Amino acid sequence: MSVVPLLEVDALKVYYGASFRQVRAVDGVSFRLAKGQCMGLVGESGCGKSTLGRAILRLEPIHAGSIRFNGADIVSFKGVDLKAFRRKAQMVFQDPYGSLNPRMSIGRAIEEVLDVHKIGPRETRRTRVSELLEAVGLEAGYAGRYPHEFSGGQRQRIGIARALAVEPELIVADEPVSALDVSVQVQILNLLKDLQQKMNLTYLFVAHDLAVVRYICSDVVVMYLGRIMEAGPSDELYRQPAHPYTVALLSAVPDVNRALKARKQPQDSSQVRGDVPSISGSIPGCPFHPRCPRAEARCRQEIPALRIVGDGSRLSACHFAEEVWEKWAVNSDQ
Amino acid sequence: MPERDLLLDVRGLKIEFGTGAQGLRVVDDLSFNVRDGETVALVGESGCGKSVTALALAKLIPQPPGRFAGGEVLFGGQNVLSMGEKELRRLRGADISYVFQEPGQSLNPVFRIGWQLREALQIHRPDQATTEEMVRLLKQVGLPDPEQKLRAYPHELSGGMQQRVMIAMALACRPRLLVADEPTTALDVTIQLQILELLKDLQRQLGMAVILITHNLGLVADCAHRVNVMYAGRIVEAGPTEEVLGHPRHPYTRGLLEAVPKLEGSAGHLKGIDGHVPNPARMPSGCKFHPRCPLCAEICREREPADETVREDHIVRCHFWQKGGDS
Repeated sequence: MSVVPLLEVDALKVYYGASFRQVRAVDGVSFRLAKGQCMGLVGESGCGKSTLGRAILRLEPIHAGSIRFNGADIVSFKGVDLKAFRRKAQMVFQDPYGSLNPRMSIGRAIEEVLDVHKIGPRETRRTRVSELLEAVGLEAGYAGRYPHEFSGGQRQRIGIARALAVEPELIVADEPVSALDVSVQVQILNLLKDLQQKMNLTYLFVAHDLAVVRYICSDVVVMYLGRIMEAGPSDELYRQPAHPYTVALLSAVPDVNRALKARKQPQDSSQVRGDVPSISGSIPGCPFHPRCPRAEARCRQEIPALRIVGDGSRLSACHFAEEVWEKWAVNSDQ
Repeated sequence: MPERDLLLDVRGLKIEFGTGAQGLRVVDDLSFNVRDGETVALVGESGCGKSVTALALAKLIPQPPGRFAGGEVLFGGQNVLSMGEKELRRLRGADISYVFQEPGQSLNPVFRIGWQLREALQIHRPDQATTEEMVRLLKQVGLPDPEQKLRAYPHELSGGMQQRVMIAMALACRPRLLVADEPTTALDVTIQLQILELLKDLQRQLGMAVILITHNLGLVADCAHRVNVMYAGRIVEAGPTEEVLGHPRHPYTRGLLEAVPKLEGSAGHLKGIDGHVPNPARMPSGCKFHPRCPLCAEICREREPADETVREDHIVRCHFWQKGGDS
C-alpha cells in the first residue's frame, strides 16, 4: 500500500513515575494505520494496550516519540489544534455504565458533543441527535431517556453514537464489547463493522479477546510489557503465529470447536507459566523470556528487534521467529 | 464415564424475589443433578438465573427478599432447603464450597492471607488449623513461596494468585462439591488456562464434583462432562457436553454457539440473537424464548414446551427441536 497512512506512530514511549521507579507502560512502539483499516491491539492486562490507545488520542503524557495523524505530528498539539484533532479522533470506552452521566438524558449527552465542538446551527442539533441514534440502531424517541433505562448493549450503542457525533476519521475502541453478553457482543461488533463501511471509519480496536479481534480486524498487533511482540494480517497471524507469546495466547483461548475436537484426540497444551510481571521491574533481554518455553541464554541477554519474518507482511520480535513460524506451517498442513 | 452416585439432585426448584403479588419468579421448575466427581456446567446469558441457582444450593439466598417457592435441593439425599442454621453451617464450606468471579472482592483487604485461611480451617477442622496445613494447601494450588504468601495482604497478589488463594480456601475443608461461579472471567486467558488446569488436577486428585457457572461456551467445551443451558430461569437444553454443543437442538443453544467469534475456520458473518433476556416482571407467555426465536410459531406463544428426550441424557425444551436439522 502506498497511500499516506492516516496514523503513523513512531518509537512512542509513555513512562510514568520518577526515574528510580519508572513504569514503562509503552516502550518504543511503532506502527502505521491506513485509512479505512481496522487494527486490533491485543495482549494480557498490563501489557500497555489501553495506554497506547489513550496516548494516541493525547489522553496520556507522552515521554518520547511521534504520532502523526494525516501527516501532522499531534504530540506538540495544544489548545485549538488539539481540539480540532479531537473532532477527527474519538474514543469508545469499555464501560458504557461509567462513561455516561446518569443525570443527563442521552439526547442531551450526545447534543453536548455537538455544542462543545460547535457543529451545525443550534436549531438543527436535535435533528442530528435523532439521526445519530437511528444510525446506531436506537429509536429517535429514546433521546429523552436516561442511561439507567437502557441495557448494557444499548448503552454501548449510545457511547458509539456520541463518538460518531463529530464525524471522526479515527475511532479508538477500548474493549468495547468485553462487558457484554455474547449475543449482544455480536450485535455491537456487527454495528461497528457496518458503520466502518458506511462512514469509511478507521478503527484501533483494543481488546483481550483474540477471537473478537479476528472477527472485526484485518490486522493485529500483539503487545507484551509495553512492546510489540508480533504484528501482521489477522487471518495469517492466527493461522501461523511467529512469536511464542502469540502461540501461548492463541492456545489459551477456550474455543468450542477446538475443545470438542480435543475431546476426541487429546493433545497437550502449550501453557505459559507465571503471571505478567510488573512493568516497573526491568527484565534484561527479551521481556517474555521468563515465561517463554523456547527461551535460551541469548534471550536473557539480547533484546530481540522487531523484524520482518516470512513473506514480508509479518513482524516478530523473537530471536527464533522463523523457527516458530515454520513449525506452525507444518501444523496447518496436516 | 461410569455411572457414579448421585451427589446433588435439584428437583423442580422455584425461587422468587419480592413478596406477595409482586413476587418475581427468577428460577422456575429447575431440575438437574450432579454425580460424584463430575463437572457439570450451567451456561446462559447474564440475568438467566445461573448465579441465583448456585447460591440456592447451600441455601445462601437471603430470605426475605428471596423465597423458595417450591422444589427441593437434595445433597447426599438430604434436602438443603429444609435444613436449619446449624446443619447449614456444617454443610457450607465442608460439603459445598464456592469460588466466585472477583477474587479481590472475596478476600478481606485488611487481613493477611494466612489469617483468612486459618479462619476457614478453624471453623471446620480446628485440630488442623496449623501453619503446615496452610502451607500444604497453598502448595496444592501452585502458589510459589507459600510461607511468604501467608504473610501477604490480598493487594500484594495478582488476580491469578488471589484466585488460587480462594481455591485453597474453598478446598481447605475437602468439600464434595465445588461451585465455581465465573471463576476465571476476571482473569487473562493465559491465567484462566492455568486456573482451569489446576481445577481439573485437583478434581482428579480429590475426587470432588464441580459445578461450573459460566457464559463462556469454550470453557464448557473444555471442562464439563455435562452441560445445562439456562434461559429465563429454566433449563432449556441439557445433556453430555459433546451432544449439546456438538449437536444442539434448542434454537437458544444454537444462537449462543453461532454468536461466539471463532479462532479457526472462516471468520464469516455472525448472527447473534436479537433482543435480550426478558425481565422477570414482564415474562413472555408460552415459551420464554419465543420473542427472540427464529422458529417461533403460534404454539410457542401459547404453551410452554415440556422436557423432551432427544436421546438418552440429552433433553430439550422446544416445540420444534426436530426442526432446523443437525448442525
